[in-house]
Amino acid sequence: MSKPNIKRGAGIALAAILAASVSTVAVQAAQKPIVIGVTAEMATIPGKAIANGATLAVQQINAAGGINGRPIKLIIEDNHVSTTDAIRSFQRMTRQDHAVAILGAFTSEVALALEPWSARLHEPFLITGAASNKLAEYVHADYAQRKYIFHAYLPAAYLAQAVCDSTKDLLVPMHMTTAVVLSEDAAWTKPLDAGYDKCLPKVGVKVLDNIRFDPNTTDFTPIYQKIEAMHPAMIMAGWAHVGVQPTVQWAEQKVPVALVGINAQAGSSLFWKATNGATEGVLTGNTSAPGVAITPKTIPFTNAYSKEFGSEPAYSAYSTYDAMYALADAIKREKSTKPNAIVAGLEKTDMVGTQGRLEFQGKAAKFTHALRYGPGYITGVAIQWQNGVQKCVWPLKLANAKVVFPSFVTATK
Amino acid sequence: MQAFKTRNILILAAILAILVILPFGAGSYVLGVLTTAFYFAVFAMSWDLLFGYAGEVNFGPTFLIGLGAYGAGIGNALLGMPLPIAVLFGTAAAVIGGVALAIPALKLSGPYLGLITLVAVLLLQQAIVIFAGVSGGEIGLSVPSVLSISSKINYAYALIFMIISGAILLTIARSSLGMILQAAGQDRVAAAALGFDVTRHKILAFAVSAFFSGLAGALLVFYLGTASVNAVVDLAIGIRVIIAAVMGGRRTIIGGAIGAIFLIVAAELLRPLGQLSSFVVALMALGVIMFFPDGLLGMIAARRRS
Amino acid sequence: MLALQILIDGFAISTLYALGALGFTLIFGVSGVLNLAHGGLLVVSAMAAWYVGTALGANAWVSAGVGIGAGLAVTLVTYGAVVRPVQRSRAIPGAERELFVLTATLLWGVMLQELLDYWFSDTPVAVKPLLSGTVNFLGVRTPINEFLTAAIAWAVMGLLWLLVNRTDIGKRLRATAINPRALTLLGFDLERIYLVAWLIYGLLAGIAGVLIGSFLGSGSSYIAGLTGSAFTIVVLGGLGSVSGTLIAAYVVGYIETLTAYLISPALREVPALLLLIAVMYVRPQGLLGKR
Repeated sequence: MSKPNIKRGAGIALAAILAASVSTVAVQAAQKPIVIGVTAEMATIPGKAIANGATLAVQQINAAGGINGRPIKLIIEDNHVSTTDAIRSFQRMTRQDHAVAILGAFTSEVALALEPWSARLHEPFLITGAASNKLAEYVHADYAQRKYIFHAYLPAAYLAQAVCDSTKDLLVPMHMTTAVVLSEDAAWTKPLDAGYDKCLPKVGVKVLDNIRFDPNTTDFTPIYQKIEAMHPAMIMAGWAHVGVQPTVQWAEQKVPVALVGINAQAGSSLFWKATNGATEGVLTGNTSAPGVAITPKTIPFTNAYSKEFGSEPAYSAYSTYDAMYALADAIKREKSTKPNAIVAGLEKTDMVGTQGRLEFQGKAAKFTHALRYGPGYITGVAIQWQNGVQKCVWPLKLANAKVVFPSFVTATK
Repeated sequence: MQAFKTRNILILAAILAILVILPFGAGSYVLGVLTTAFYFAVFAMSWDLLFGYAGEVNFGPTFLIGLGAYGAGIGNALLGMPLPIAVLFGTAAAVIGGVALAIPALKLSGPYLGLITLVAVLLLQQAIVIFAGVSGGEIGLSVPSVLSISSKINYAYALIFMIISGAILLTIARSSLGMILQAAGQDRVAAAALGFDVTRHKILAFAVSAFFSGLAGALLVFYLGTASVNAVVDLAIGIRVIIAAVMGGRRTIIGGAIGAIFLIVAAELLRPLGQLSSFVVALMALGVIMFFPDGLLGMIAARRRS
Repeated sequence: MLALQILIDGFAISTLYALGALGFTLIFGVSGVLNLAHGGLLVVSAMAAWYVGTALGANAWVSAGVGIGAGLAVTLVTYGAVVRPVQRSRAIPGAERELFVLTATLLWGVMLQELLDYWFSDTPVAVKPLLSGTVNFLGVRTPINEFLTAAIAWAVMGLLWLLVNRTDIGKRLRATAINPRALTLLGFDLERIYLVAWLIYGLLAGIAGVLIGSFLGSGSSYIAGLTGSAFTIVVLGGLGSVSGTLIAAYVVGYIETLTAYLISPALREVPALLLLIAVMYVRPQGLLGKR
């Protein structure tokens, strides 16, 4: 290669840098609105729901006069389920857009990578979809440095507890007392599996085996054959990244074992079409069910959401919507957008959201800054797909249907 | 020719000078973008040494980058090594991996070698997932140490590192080693007949490329504060490295840096397009490759000539 | 019982692998193109079939037809807009054309993935099976669709064999693979032969995409994996060798199935990758490769 190329190449680099600097200057103008950032995995169902939940909350808050008269300006960035992209976007929103807080992330891996940056940059960060126990344990381990992080959803240990609680009320009375735990190999399922192993025996269910599979698995036949040979009454799922293939293959192969646990994608109304109806009879823990009033806010929210976006909200839409309101309340209460004020405000949160009553746990709790779980707070629901509709089957006082398994599920009889 | 050279050096110096004074003017966000771009630039330049000069189709730049990154991350997070030692540890792991890749490269070429390098990445990825207890698995590995939280200092580290790596790689590429590699890449038998020890030079080329890839990977981990498959191992990252090198202009070393900086800066500028930004970046890269196969460097050279 | 299960399941998977890799090896054999956007073609077909069948509610056979059409269309676009311009570019030195085809198709695959992400999100979907229900085959409960899939795949492969070995077109295709220049000298229009090869490739990709989509599901995130597995199988079998590809597909399919059943589903892909490396060392040209 001849020498002159060096110069010209450098010229391009220079132009690119100049262009980048110019664009920074241009964006730094408007300062009046309160800027809030969202980082989401836009190409996924839960990620899209995060963006939608935040958008809806901001529309409503702004329509009602904003926060102390200042409107919210929402910035939504796609992190492409990549920790690198997420960190870059987190830094950008903090430093360039001056976002006063950032919400989002349903992938635990991404959220965990962002946590140190929230602590380093003193940027309040509300995690609204990821479920690893480590998210809140991280805050607990060094509260002074990491108090800016809030886990505005439930740690997996609570999700497991919710599944055990519903199993006790629903399935144990149907004499379903054996289970094989089947989880995707990901950060959030480790504490989930540990939770299952601990709480299922307490409600009278024997765990026969614990199978973890690579989320890239496409053929589930060997796994289902192995499970069937153990004759359990139910498959206790821990799925979020996967959902369609194991569900479709379960139905196609008529695996005679009930499919229960957490099948996060089955919580979305889009799942029926994605699986061609194979999800019929699938039971899963979820935040809410269509038409079920967990709190007075739930139904107005789901109605507004389906009107705006044309589908029912996935779980992460509820948590993000609630987190946005909690954040707005915190800023309103403290009359400040300084990080420490926001943290103090969020710690005082005690509001009724769409998922239940929201309160962040204190410094002393094991899951510092995670939402409180249990009766009176958030418990979640169990839904079952019946004739193409998600029916609420638990908690019993909210249920609008009884559990019915497909005819090929014979292990329950 | 001499005048030409002097002018080039002056212009290169001027650009570097601008990069050096940039931290005093630009926002920390711009610096952050460029910091990542500088590490990527080293990835692309190391790849260009192997491909552009030695003609080795290496689809697995992230095998070497990943070894460096995870070696450093594990050294720091699990073995309690201080940051500089951990960086060296990761780099050493990458060099060993590079030599291991060189062995099949002595026998295979073209798509066959390409496949081996691809498989190396897949196996590394599988190993990380299978040994999740050590590597953090899909979750990624958070490291306790970071280079700095100041964007200016991070920028300075990355810039200095890129300049030094680029200078060394360029020197190597233009030395007799580079010539021999090029000769062996085109006709191995002829090069050997001329009395060159092709085997030794090839292994050396892999080791050098692995050294810089691994070092850059290790430093990137301590810039980001995390090592994860989708940041340093995933095939998609490797594809980006290859595209950067080819797009900037292969067989130039500096082209790799320009391509990498271009790709990352372009992605930032296209941010308003949201999800479609990656599509547009890929489209631009495809356009450059199809219409200006000599890359950005060649494109400007051609315009100059006409 | 377990052995039979492994036999059936392995057969189904291997047949799909073979069908998926066949077009890839054919186009390499005839025109020397390694199409790294291969997975993208399969996924586009599957997504089109899913969209028509499930989102628009069409009949399973109609949607499969639309899927195959989409596969054919995107394959021809790949050839016309990406591969052919690179092959004909004067600016690209001949020795490096192969690398440019690799890079260009790689980028094209990325673009397909991004577009699919944008339109359909990256959540995988399942294409409507052509037939639903299960049958009891020698005591193993097997979905009927699995048999149908295998039957179609074998019929398609049989037709391809007839086409290549028993027709004039096939003769020309084979001749092109061996010595394209001689064919030009004999007055054949090479361009037309290539176009025919890409047409066949498009049909194969469409059929394979739809069948794989109804058996294993499909989605933008599958693209890299599908390309990778086709690449692996084809290199293992010997680049450009159709029978080598078939053998390699069954070897890989059965090794994976055995590993998944007998060791652990999590390790499914590892032994095949190790085998591939071993074969590369001992026999770089692959199982049935010529050189």
